[in-house]
Amino acid sequence: MNEKEYYIPDGTYWPIIGSIGISILLIGFANQMHGVSWGSSAMVLGFAITVFMLFGWLGQVVNESVNGQYNQQVDRSFRWGMSWFIFSEVMFFAAFFGALFYARMLSVPWLGGADNNIFTPDLWNGFSATWQQVAFTTPGTTLQSGTAISIPTKLVEATGLPALNTILLLLSGVTLTLAHHALRSDNRNQVIGWLVATITLGVAFLGFQVMEYGHAYADGLKLTSGIYGSTFYMLTGFHGFHVTLGVIMLTVILFRVQKGHFSANNHFAFEGVAWYWHFVDVVWLGLFVFVYWV
Amino acid sequence: MTTATASHDEHHHGPEKGLMRWVKTTNHKDIGTLYLWFAFAMLLIGGALAMGIRMELLQPGLQLMDPHFFNQLTTMHGLIMVFGAIMPAFVGLGNWLIPMMVGAPDMALPRMNNWSFWILPFAGGILLSTFFMEGGAPAFGWTFYAPLSTTFAPDSTDFFIFAVHLLGFSSIMGAINIIATVLNMRAPKMKLMDMPLFVWTWLITSFLLIGAMPVLAGAVTMMLTDRNFGTAFFDATGGGDPVMFQHIFWFFGHPEVYIMILPAFGVVSHIIPTFARKPLFGYSSMVYATASIAFLSYIVWAHHMFLTGMPVAGELYFMYATMLIAVPTGVKVFNWISTMWRGSMTFETPMLWAVSFVFLFTIGGFSGLMLGIAPADIQYHDTYFVVAHFHYVLVTGALWSIIAATFYWLPKWTGKMYNEGLAKVHFWWAVISVNVLFFPQHFLGLAGMPRRIPDYSLQFADFNMISSIGGFAFGASFILFTYIVIDCIRNGKPATARPWEGAKGLEWTLAPKAQYHSFNTPPSRELIKSESQHS
Amino acid sequence: MSSVIIIVIIVGILLALGSGLLGLMRGGPEGSEKMFRSLVVRVALSLFLFGILMLSGYMGWIEPNAVIMDATIAK
Repeated sequence: MNEKEYYIPDGTYWPIIGSIGISILLIGFANQMHGVSWGSSAMVLGFAITVFMLFGWLGQVVNESVNGQYNQQVDRSFRWGMSWFIFSEVMFFAAFFGALFYARMLSVPWLGGADNNIFTPDLWNGFSATWQQVAFTTPGTTLQSGTAISIPTKLVEATGLPALNTILLLLSGVTLTLAHHALRSDNRNQVIGWLVATITLGVAFLGFQVMEYGHAYADGLKLTSGIYGSTFYMLTGFHGFHVTLGVIMLTVILFRVQKGHFSANNHFAFEGVAWYWHFVDVVWLGLFVFVYWV
Repeated sequence: MTTATASHDEHHHGPEKGLMRWVKTTNHKDIGTLYLWFAFAMLLIGGALAMGIRMELLQPGLQLMDPHFFNQLTTMHGLIMVFGAIMPAFVGLGNWLIPMMVGAPDMALPRMNNWSFWILPFAGGILLSTFFMEGGAPAFGWTFYAPLSTTFAPDSTDFFIFAVHLLGFSSIMGAINIIATVLNMRAPKMKLMDMPLFVWTWLITSFLLIGAMPVLAGAVTMMLTDRNFGTAFFDATGGGDPVMFQHIFWFFGHPEVYIMILPAFGVVSHIIPTFARKPLFGYSSMVYATASIAFLSYIVWAHHMFLTGMPVAGELYFMYATMLIAVPTGVKVFNWISTMWRGSMTFETPMLWAVSFVFLFTIGGFSGLMLGIAPADIQYHDTYFVVAHFHYVLVTGALWSIIAATFYWLPKWTGKMYNEGLAKVHFWWAVISVNVLFFPQHFLGLAGMPRRIPDYSLQFADFNMISSIGGFAFGASFILFTYIVIDCIRNGKPATARPWEGAKGLEWTLAPKAQYHSFNTPPSRELIKSESQHS
Repeated sequence: MSSVIIIVIIVGILLALGSGLLGLMRGGPEGSEKMFRSLVVRVALSLFLFGILMLSGYMGWIEPNAVIMDATIAK
């Protein structure tokens, strides 16, 4: 398309399909949580519609891009869109990191009697204000909602699986950078090789993460283990979800590389996904440092 | 990109036929129209709930409804007005106006633009459907503090949570689109400091949206897992803290109030110069003031929480930081007044709304300063004084500017003029009744009447009755408003391309009814300069 | 002291990542170059951080969460 023209797309059905899909998914989820029988089927249906929409919509965009309907300006709009979308993701994680820091630095010490809360320990007999075991350690006590508190018998170690996973993700950052380098010098075979390596490392990470969850769960660390269990699972869980998304996107990119969609100068989709992957990687580093170590 | 031509085939020049036009559309004007009608429908629904509230409060004693239903009304009124009416109305205005103001043919990401609108009806539908669920709609106030919203809330709360997720998703996409439009689709010859203030304020608002809405999504996600999966974010028995909910909520909530007022500042900064027939006084100081307000809005959140327990150093910091916001806001108010100073002023309807905005919003700003004083807030907290304060900034601030914008740009949207005489009647009706409605609430609050209660002691009876009568009158004024707008669309007299002779801005260089795709060719430097707010 | 260094490095990583985002936004050859370089920096810093973490843990300069916990329970 001419550099001097504006790109204005035709009308499209994808957004309304997406809205319907997501709404069915969420309504199904809410009903499923409330024990309604059709809840999970609605979730599956909504999820299927949403995935259909994503592939249809993005597929159309890819086709238009390959057919040369876009120009530099459209490319820049996509860049702005992707960048600020990722920034909104950063803020989403910030909320959970904020909760982690607040609990760690303020609410747990306060519950333990720090500052002017000296009476709290007497009022809260049996409450353990230690970090990984913040809850009532008296057996049989429950959360306000009535859920039994699960007290972990073993503690989450920073070495071992988490350290291994950190290495895996960091290496995936290296291989992805190498793939990027290869793409910038138009060496398609190397790009494919490094991308496959990145995807493999990502999948390995996910596998070990599942193992790690299995160990933690067996040791009694659950979502219901008080604030440590809550922040641990929510942060690592959302992170794992993003790694999964990243692996899917990298796979799509791999296929597009094979089809020869990118050139050394024109590979926004690759760059967007690459930055996303680096972002997910950095989130993990933050997790590793703040959840497991410091 | 200097001499752009029409982008595509011929059929892009006009809208599609039939109802599917509105479902499939990628046109910023169509989507703006959809947003505005959606916001108006939600305004009427939220207003109807408010009528229920004022009806109950007309006299002391429980008159019409049980307290639980009353709580549902206050909660849903707030949520619908904030997320359903004010925010979509501003996005609608942004959609309609920003591409025209920056000399672009459309938004940067037109398909996503469609999606950010078409999520809204679904989210609104889910939110409203909670009224018909077992246990009723959410009844914990629009701020949904834990543990009211976690441990003690009905099942419908989960639907409310998902509705908030969807609304937030829509707002984020809308904000991304506006940033990309302003920074990438702007006419090549338009510098940043040439941009009209409505564009500036919306650009800065978009950054607030992208920073704040994901945090809200995080907060409701934590609520969701606390409610259904046994996490303990807001439960002290598990080491969490209900106060943490308030911190996270208000980290979103305070930028949110500026999200709802910054575009209003932009609108007023267009209308006042037009009818004062002078360039805007202090254009660049307006831009910097907007940016400072936006920055400060991120670091003052805990002034909503002076009474929920905070170290004294925290109280002091948040108090002083809050006071600081008065400085850039004052800059704006003084600039508007200086713009009017010695201008050849006329008072067409948009100007009436804009001038009353300056006056009434300033009242709301001052009561905000009073609330921001930590020791004094002990008296005001959770009273009707707070209700009066935020209704002065949100109704006579945000909503006022939306109505002003509607009258100001209606000729450009429809190509027709509204009935000026009727519109003036409507203005005086609304401006008098809104003060009868909200001003007595200051006195009620200072005398100690708590907010969010269906019954009150006898000494509050007189002011409550006055307030309720004002409320009914104000509610009724929207019947006239609806008539004026529909009458303009159907029977209005044809408007000229520039119906206000003092108006500056690229949108006024277009046809009387702006064409479906405006600015297929970017405007020239001369045109941009002569239509900028500097000249 | 170790934790201060760790946090400084994390801030550095975030800055490099943010600079990469700016490159991504800018696009074109220079943008691409900027993004690539920033990401190289961010990968290198991350590896360095991991090294420091492991070293400090091994030398006992910092203690993992779990160890802090053990001490509390023993008390």
